[in-house]
Amino acid sequence: MFTFVTLCITSLLFGSSYQQMEFQVCHLCVGSLQNGTAVGYFCASLSGRVEGRCCWRQQGERASIVGLDLSNCSLRHIEDLQEASTAVMIDLSSNPVINISDSVFQGFIELHYLRLPSTLQCPGGNASWEKVTSDGVVCLCEEQKDACHQDGNMSWNCPENSLCAPDGPGFTQCSCTGEYHGYKCLREGQFPTGLVFGILGSSTFLASALLWYTQRRKAKFT
Amino acid sequence: MSFSPPFENLPLQSNPSLPVRAEGHPLPLLETPVMSPPCCGFLSQYTHHHLVTFLLTFFSYVLLHASRKTFSNVKVSISAQWTPSVLNGSSPAYSPGQTWEENKLFEDSQEATLFLGALDTIFLFSYAIGLYVSGVIGDRLNLRYVLSFGLCGSAIVEFLFGTVTEWLHFYNIYFYCCLWVLNGLLQSAVWPCVVAVMGNWFGKSGRGFVFGLWSACASVGNILGAFLASSVLKYGYEYAFLVTSAVQFAGGVVVFFGLLSSPKEVGLSMTCESAMSPVQNDSDSHRPLISDEEYAQEEEGVMCDGGYYSVQRSDQDQDQAPELGDPPVAIGFFQAFCLPGVLPYSLAYACLKLVNYSFFFWLPFYLSSNFGWKEAQADRLSVWYDVGGIVGGTVQGLISDFLGKRAPVLAVSLLLAMGSLVGYSHSPDNQVINAVLLAVTGFFIGGPSNMISSAISADLGRQEVLRGSQEALATVTGIVDGTGSIGAAGGQYLVSLIESRLSWMPVFYFFITMTGVSLLFIGPMIISELRSVCQEMRTRVHQL
Repeated sequence: MFTFVTLCITSLLFGSSYQQMEFQVCHLCVGSLQNGTAVGYFCASLSGRVEGRCCWRQQGERASIVGLDLSNCSLRHIEDLQEASTAVMIDLSSNPVINISDSVFQGFIELHYLRLPSTLQCPGGNASWEKVTSDGVVCLCEEQKDACHQDGNMSWNCPENSLCAPDGPGFTQCSCTGEYHGYKCLREGQFPTGLVFGILGSSTFLASALLWYTQRRKAKFT
Repeated sequence: MSFSPPFENLPLQSNPSLPVRAEGHPLPLLETPVMSPPCCGFLSQYTHHHLVTFLLTFFSYVLLHASRKTFSNVKVSISAQWTPSVLNGSSPAYSPGQTWEENKLFEDSQEATLFLGALDTIFLFSYAIGLYVSGVIGDRLNLRYVLSFGLCGSAIVEFLFGTVTEWLHFYNIYFYCCLWVLNGLLQSAVWPCVVAVMGNWFGKSGRGFVFGLWSACASVGNILGAFLASSVLKYGYEYAFLVTSAVQFAGGVVVFFGLLSSPKEVGLSMTCESAMSPVQNDSDSHRPLISDEEYAQEEEGVMCDGGYYSVQRSDQDQDQAPELGDPPVAIGFFQAFCLPGVLPYSLAYACLKLVNYSFFFWLPFYLSSNFGWKEAQADRLSVWYDVGGIVGGTVQGLISDFLGKRAPVLAVSLLLAMGSLVGYSHSPDNQVINAVLLAVTGFFIGGPSNMISSAISADLGRQEVLRGSQEALATVTGIVDGTGSIGAAGGQYLVSLIESRLSWMPVFYFFITMTGVSLLFIGPMIISELRSVCQEMRTRVHQL
């Protein structure tokens, strides 16, 4: 009983302001964000909070990761960085990674500065970034382009009632416009349930009462 | 001993326009007939009870057909919900997956359409089987209870089918099939009951016209369903199902509280119509409109078709058939089947309902695939077929009332229907001409179809051969409509088969053949009625 109460209080305390306790990506390797690195400098300029290898920024009620530094972590495989999908700056250099799937960066719409080991290509290809530089050790991808408006290509064709929106380097998503929502953006607006059922219920009651009075009241019981 | 209410001793012919209540006093002004100018002797026999019964039964079937039409009209949305997005060429799947790719109940819209067609066929088959059963049940139980149960039960099943499955995102083929079978069985309770109630309240005189007008309910239901579906569809197809099932449930409640299944329930016991409507005084009104010659000899004064029979065996019924001393017994299924006229009309109706329902189900698809018109336009055009059907049913019912015979009117209409089908199959790509041709075709096909399923069923169920000792109206209606629905169900499959193997022209030839076959089935009835018409004319000429 006592442990249960303690656990409850603990989770309440930490839950509200320390949501990030569960984030494993910040602890993929030991150590914490250094001041001298690009990410560290970026974090300091934003007055962000450092936790593990992540840089957090508080925006009102919510806190989100804006920087991630996994350089020199001896990582061979990088599979899931989704927890840091709000990151603006990511550093993965000096890791013995051979290849990385493009889909790792799907959903990273804020990413504008990516440092990769030179063995890797920029996700989405060079066409998805404004500036790609490589000095043999580190590949630097800067300023993600909006994949919906590739120069030379037509903007991405989304189905009806939806518009193209960027979804990471080289990725697009079709999100519903205006009042449309639901599966395949087929539904529009909110159904006026209260109004419809109010009218229906009251008219049913009135009609039943009226008809019972005029028709069945004198009916013989059968 | 039977309880004999005091009003039985009063001469009922004293004031034909004022129905008399059990206490023996004329009813207060509230109960005066709705329309009673002295010239309209035909209408003066009807009270406000008649009007309310007409409207309640009319709208019960309207709501039922509206829910069926809703299902037809939301097919495109449902198949979009069940399938993932269509990708052109080799482009990658749309993202996010929940919005575009998640539902994979069917791989593409063709499979979904096939399943929806299969659902239609399942529904029609279970509806047909249910009709045979419900007709028998309706003649044995309280019509009002069966009708309300059918309406409310079917509404609940439709709610489960369309709305609950969408809210829970539970898409399962077997669940849909089971629900739709149940829906067919529950909906089948409605038609025999409404025809029986109408047959109880409206006797022979004017039956053709009243039933013709009343059988517009199916077409009005189609129009209402199309309107409801198109106005709510933008919120999601589940709301179309929600609205139609809620309205149908409300209709069931109103029917339960407001319907009088026969005039006996308020003590409106009836004698022959000749007392009520001075216009039709000749002996013809005593004979059922589809009688064979041998039954034309019946001239019993009390035994008229206008007798109102309640469904239950009650002691009061003894007063209706004093010469027999037995309360009306519900007829057995096979006895009803063997009644004269039931079998040929059932088979003819099977062919006609096939053509009628195939137009109902396939017309929007034919219009949009053959002429390339949009689905909304095709839906609106298909309303004209229903309009033609309404007018046809009413006008032809009226004509058959004046003639006193139904089969010749049917024959002429069916011949002209074959011609109009030929004309429609060659319709040009012009919406106005197409609408006109559709209306004409609807007039000639919908007219006989409406008549057979309503007025003629009522005639068959009240024949003199029953002699007032058997209650057969709902059973006969169930048999006629059940056979019709089997024909319609088979037709759904055949039409899609012919269309996919060949093209649309063979489908029209198939319709024309079916119309001809139904004409063949009622051939014997036509011949015997024409013979009796000639005989009558000869006797009249001799009398002059």
